[in-house]
Amino acid sequence: MSAALSAQARLDDERATQLILLRNSAAEFVRRNKDFKGYRKRREQLPGYDTTHLHQMAEMGWFGLLVPEAQGGLGLGLDELAVIVQELGKGLLAEPLVASTVLAGRALARAPRSTLRDQLLTGLANASSLPALAWQEDSGALEPMAMSTTATLSERGVLLRGTKRLVVGAAGASGFLVSARTEAELGLYWVAANTSGLSMSFEWRADGTPVGRLELESVFVPPECVVSEPGVATLSNLEHAIDEAAILVSAEMLGVMEAALQIALSYMRTRVQFGKPIGSFQALQHKTTDLYVQQELSRAVLAEAVTVLRDRSDAVERALIVSRCKSRCSDAGLRVTREVIQLHGAIGFTDEYDVGLFLKRALVLSAWLGNASAHRRRFAALSPGILGVQA
Amino acid sequence: MSPMLTPQPDWNSLSDEAFRQAAAQFFDLHVPRHLCHLNRRPRWSEVRDWYLTMSEHGWLVPGWPVEHGGMGLSQSKILVYMEELERCGAPRVMDQGLMNLGPVLIARGTEAQRKKFLPKILSGEHTWCQGYSEPGAGSDLASLRTEAVIEGDEFVINGQKIWTSVAFDATHMFALVRTDKTVKKQAGISFVMIDLRQPGVTVRPIRNIAGHEELCEVFLDNVRTPAENLVGGLNEGWNVAKALLGFERVWSGSPRQSTIALLRLSQLARANGKFSDPSFVDKFTQVTMDVLDSAAAYERFAQIIRTGGSFGFEVSMLKIWATETCQRVTELMVEAAGDLGMLAGEVVIGDEAMDILYPFLECRAFTIYGGSSQVQRNILAKNVLQLPS
Repeated sequence: MSAALSAQARLDDERATQLILLRNSAAEFVRRNKDFKGYRKRREQLPGYDTTHLHQMAEMGWFGLLVPEAQGGLGLGLDELAVIVQELGKGLLAEPLVASTVLAGRALARAPRSTLRDQLLTGLANASSLPALAWQEDSGALEPMAMSTTATLSERGVLLRGTKRLVVGAAGASGFLVSARTEAELGLYWVAANTSGLSMSFEWRADGTPVGRLELESVFVPPECVVSEPGVATLSNLEHAIDEAAILVSAEMLGVMEAALQIALSYMRTRVQFGKPIGSFQALQHKTTDLYVQQELSRAVLAEAVTVLRDRSDAVERALIVSRCKSRCSDAGLRVTREVIQLHGAIGFTDEYDVGLFLKRALVLSAWLGNASAHRRRFAALSPGILGVQA
Repeated sequence: MSPMLTPQPDWNSLSDEAFRQAAAQFFDLHVPRHLCHLNRRPRWSEVRDWYLTMSEHGWLVPGWPVEHGGMGLSQSKILVYMEELERCGAPRVMDQGLMNLGPVLIARGTEAQRKKFLPKILSGEHTWCQGYSEPGAGSDLASLRTEAVIEGDEFVINGQKIWTSVAFDATHMFALVRTDKTVKKQAGISFVMIDLRQPGVTVRPIRNIAGHEELCEVFLDNVRTPAENLVGGLNEGWNVAKALLGFERVWSGSPRQSTIALLRLSQLARANGKFSDPSFVDKFTQVTMDVLDSAAAYERFAQIIRTGGSFGFEVSMLKIWATETCQRVTELMVEAAGDLGMLAGEVVIGDEAMDILYPFLECRAFTIYGGSSQVQRNILAKNVLQLPS
């Protein structure tokens, strides 16, 4: 028993050390690259991130972190990526890591092996070409089947018709993993960015980053570009990838709220009114500790979620903890960044002051991949003790 | 005391899981069923037998070292012990001697004090209460005024303690008393042990908001205690009391109370059909997540204890969240009961009989005792967030 225990302890130790190293290198990246002036200039500009940052991240191996080793990646897990994304969130530097490597990357990695799949994963691992997942439509619903894009068999392949929306990472993408239905089943198809019949426009999110809107007018997909055939396995793989991405969005949200709270705390220590630093006022202290409590709850549920997704395979169990995690982090992130504006007073309301940038990122992250109430609804629907008991 | 019936195994050599099974087995076999899951704190006369059973089998004190008659458990196994005790709904015994005075004597007492008092705690001959709060010293405990003056080889004590749990069943009290009025308030306090079975001691129960008499006022009028009953040195009382906080700070933030409250709430919702009301379901889901996240936060600190690590004031967030969550759950229970929420005592709802208001009333205290929610926030603001004062 003790031999097994110590082997496990050694493994835990190695993992903990690995996580610290990754956290440190991401923190160092933020120290070197945090630049809110440049960030403001990039607002409502394509592709929505600094491409030199993208190349540096690729050199650090972050785009290949989750990609299997056989395709040139590091084959690491969500816990490793989560610490990186959390740190990047503190500097508002996480784009487009989660959309490319988790949402699209995990959907690809779970697809059946094919030449195309392996090529796309290799391109992702070195960030030479980034895939984007186009799964949502006008409703923006969390259920992958809530869409109407169709895939119809033609003589030599498949024809896609429909409109995709809210495609994160679309601007810099080499192509799209498009979900489409054949009758009641969902398939995934690769559509390169320059394919004829595909046209793309953009909508701007609260923080000035773009999301793509794809019009697919009889886009032809040859057989070798069918990434995953229509069927239940394709749907459940896609749901799995979306759940994983929701965890990583939560990790980024944790970083965003931590940084925003730190800005407020240092302001409260120095800003003097009524002859005292405003941080000495109990009303503000108690408000701030409530934000701290929300931050720590987010940290705790995120840690639990990452562990459950690593160690457990049951899809319902996974969905429950993901919904808890995204729900908590969405609410907490919005609340912290909103109240941080209030703690600052008028200066917090200006575009020039940085906390507004964090509030806008929090608005994006809380809405993306299901906001708090969407995840509460899903949690309730899946909980045997709640709605299930009525069935 | 009577000798232990069985030689004690080395509990710490078991895995936590194996120990959990052993604990569950012991509690399930011996716990007095009719006293489990009570809506009130039982009297000493009711739980004395259970106390002695645990003592005879060596299961009474998880935290004391084996040489003093405890189980010598590691912190992580103490946690398992507490969780299993809670799970089987065991009635609360007179535990101030076990949980608080014992550890103080073991850490700061003299050999003579340990020899004199510890065996009598184990045998149930001495039952202890904690005399800290006073009418003028609640959240600001250090401003306490009960005074102890040396006369020969005795302290003569005068003053009043309040919110003293189950003092009417206690033979003894350990108390914080003022022994120097000329210095900073924390520096003039001593920790003394007092025999309550003497003239000048008046114990008066206080009926609480839920109708129960558990808290007391204790009047001390020229009460005497030998100087050798001073623990940790003269004017060292504040430090002695502070050293007690550690494990308790995690335990007071455990999700056990809010979990029980949530179970009661879902029992009610099943009985009255509220699970088909979408607005209730949303609120229920929210508090469910609040309870589960409370458990996730608790688990992070429990993990630190398990791996022998240490933590600081950030642990205050646990108690704030656990207790305030528990209150929200009980508030939702009153709301979900609708018009029946005005009925006191056991209420028949569908096929169930349950007390709707008791959980709501009981947990008003949780955010007050053991450092109120507001004091916990002061602690976080000052020590963790490093805000100025």
